[in-house]
Amino acid sequence: MQNKNSKYGEIQLVHRMTVIKRIIHWSFFAAIINNIITGFYIAYPFLIFGKTPTQADSLSTGILNSGETYQAFIMTWMREFHFIGAVIIDVIFFVWLYLAFFSWKEPLYKSFIPFGDKLEEAWRMLKHYFTLKDKPKTDRYQDPLNAIIFTLFHLLILLQMLTGFQMYVASFTGTSAVGAWWPWLLHFSTDWTLVVFGGLTGVTLVHLFIMWLIMIFIVYHIYIEVWRSIMWKEGDILIPFGGYKYMRNKSESE
Amino acid sequence: MASEHHSDSNDSNPNGNNPDTDFKWDPLRFISKKPDEVLKKVDDRLDALEKEYFSDKKDKEENLPNILGIYGVSRRDFLKWTAFLTSALMLPYIFKPRVARAANILTRTPFIWLDMADCMGNTEGFLRTAHPTPAEIILNYVSVNYMESIMAPAGYQAEARRTETVKKYKGKYILVVEGAIPTGMDGKFLTIGAKGDTGLKIAKETAKHAGVIIAVGNCAAYGGIPAANPNPTSAVGLSSVTDRSVINIPACPANPVNLVGTLVEYILIGKAPQLDSIGRPLWAYSGRLHDNCYRRGHFEAGEYVREWGDEGAKKQYCLYMMGCKGPFTWNNCTIAEYNQDISFPMRAGHGCIGCSQPAFWDRMTPFEKPNADAKIIIPGVEATADEFGVGLFAAAGAGIAAHAIYTGIKKKKEHKKSKNEDSEKNDDNKKE
Repeated sequence: MQNKNSKYGEIQLVHRMTVIKRIIHWSFFAAIINNIITGFYIAYPFLIFGKTPTQADSLSTGILNSGETYQAFIMTWMREFHFIGAVIIDVIFFVWLYLAFFSWKEPLYKSFIPFGDKLEEAWRMLKHYFTLKDKPKTDRYQDPLNAIIFTLFHLLILLQMLTGFQMYVASFTGTSAVGAWWPWLLHFSTDWTLVVFGGLTGVTLVHLFIMWLIMIFIVYHIYIEVWRSIMWKEGDILIPFGGYKYMRNKSESE
Repeated sequence: MASEHHSDSNDSNPNGNNPDTDFKWDPLRFISKKPDEVLKKVDDRLDALEKEYFSDKKDKEENLPNILGIYGVSRRDFLKWTAFLTSALMLPYIFKPRVARAANILTRTPFIWLDMADCMGNTEGFLRTAHPTPAEIILNYVSVNYMESIMAPAGYQAEARRTETVKKYKGKYILVVEGAIPTGMDGKFLTIGAKGDTGLKIAKETAKHAGVIIAVGNCAAYGGIPAANPNPTSAVGLSSVTDRSVINIPACPANPVNLVGTLVEYILIGKAPQLDSIGRPLWAYSGRLHDNCYRRGHFEAGEYVREWGDEGAKKQYCLYMMGCKGPFTWNNCTIAEYNQDISFPMRAGHGCIGCSQPAFWDRMTPFEKPNADAKIIIPGVEATADEFGVGLFAAAGAGIAAHAIYTGIKKKKEHKKSKNEDSEKNDDNKKE
């Protein structure tokens, strides 16, 4: 035991994610996966449900035949679930924004202050990814590189929300059941996307393209957390499950 | 819906970021809150106009029957049409006889029709119908003081007619402009008439004193095809060259009902109708085609035409996957239909091409492929959003794989090295 300790250093428990944050993390994950699948269907309906006999004669054109038109409504369901997922994502975005400043345990802004130092630390972390040496010490706050990447990711989510709401409000005619303020708010906050991205078709394409960036983030995120768990032996991958990771006062290269 | 066209045509635009009046439709056109007062104002206006444009009672009463009689349109047909137009304009039913009176007055109102850079498809669409509806007949018989394609005078005479009308009916005449206005090289890409004036100059001068200015067709409204990328002549829509309020009646060609309806409304209330954020009358352009399409049910059911002439096409399934741009287009084609009110693109089995939206030639293409298959505009990238996205995704995946392999090799090396060091140490220990 003594020997082990000297090799891996003292192991210490660090609390990183509260229950609320873990619930948020996994709802976010589920909602985003849901919206990627349903979004793909909306952009390009890949299955023909309720198709006619001639359209059904090959497997590639369809899997399910649900009969009459009125029984199918597959696009309705896809859009419905896309909107439900979008609402979850929107709520989570704002909760994230709140927690980034007012979280008791681990507010994200702490990872940016003082900015110069933290930027330098992020740079050192990036170097560490490629040299595997000089691992910056990670403690109870998010490390600055992750903080930057998560912030960029949430900006992508914000852009996705704005372009999505622009497409959503396009189908409004005049007012809505909750009052005139709702379409007004959506127009007010999202109409600039029409100017910037070139009309509703451009907004749609941007929405589609950002989805790919988000998918790249997901793959990167999973990879880097697994990588950290393997390389650092601090159990980073456990954070979203148990809320804890470990901290060692000695790193491998020392 | 869209503030994409930041035209200066919005001085009569009620949608000035105010939740109280935004998207609020007033059937009484904000004239007054009391219906009786509105009716009185409209009647007074119509009386005054009738007095001005008709010589006597007989003239007034026989004008329309004479015109419509030529085409065999009975009084009954005309009244049916006024009912249709009244409801299309979203006016209360009590306005029906007033719409009829306004249509009568419209045939006598001084009228200038300018043709700028375009194919004159709107003129053709209005004038060359085999079985014209009252809308087209009325357009044929408006008292056109200047319209290149149908006027008798030519050369200097024609020019003189236009300048004379502008002078004589200052602030009263209706100006309809068709076609985009090239602004490159001081507008020299388009010169018209005996004096060789540029279209830019003529449009500006004529618009200055017009009672109401209407840009008909996508070219006049937003530049249309002449302004499509790369736009060598720097063509723009009418609202970009005049600082006066312009009513846009886009589409390619515009529906005659929308033009006549707008003119009738101008005659009725003397001001521009309520416009949306890109200058189109709300009564005609507030509905999205996709939402009002008779094939919408098949969209919801996931029943799509996969290729031209397949079983789905025969069953009139949704044209979404054949590139229908109905979800991006606001117009009333599905309600006030084209070709003597009998059809519109989706009914004919082809998707919408979005011709009533700004820059449709650039933004709605490819016309027969879903929007997701359109090329994205990123410098140096010639790909669809999905192609580019897959490319980036693959690159990121390759990068991650490379990093993983690199880490593995490096770790192994270090492991070996440290093992060697350890064994050396062990050796030392043994020696000791």
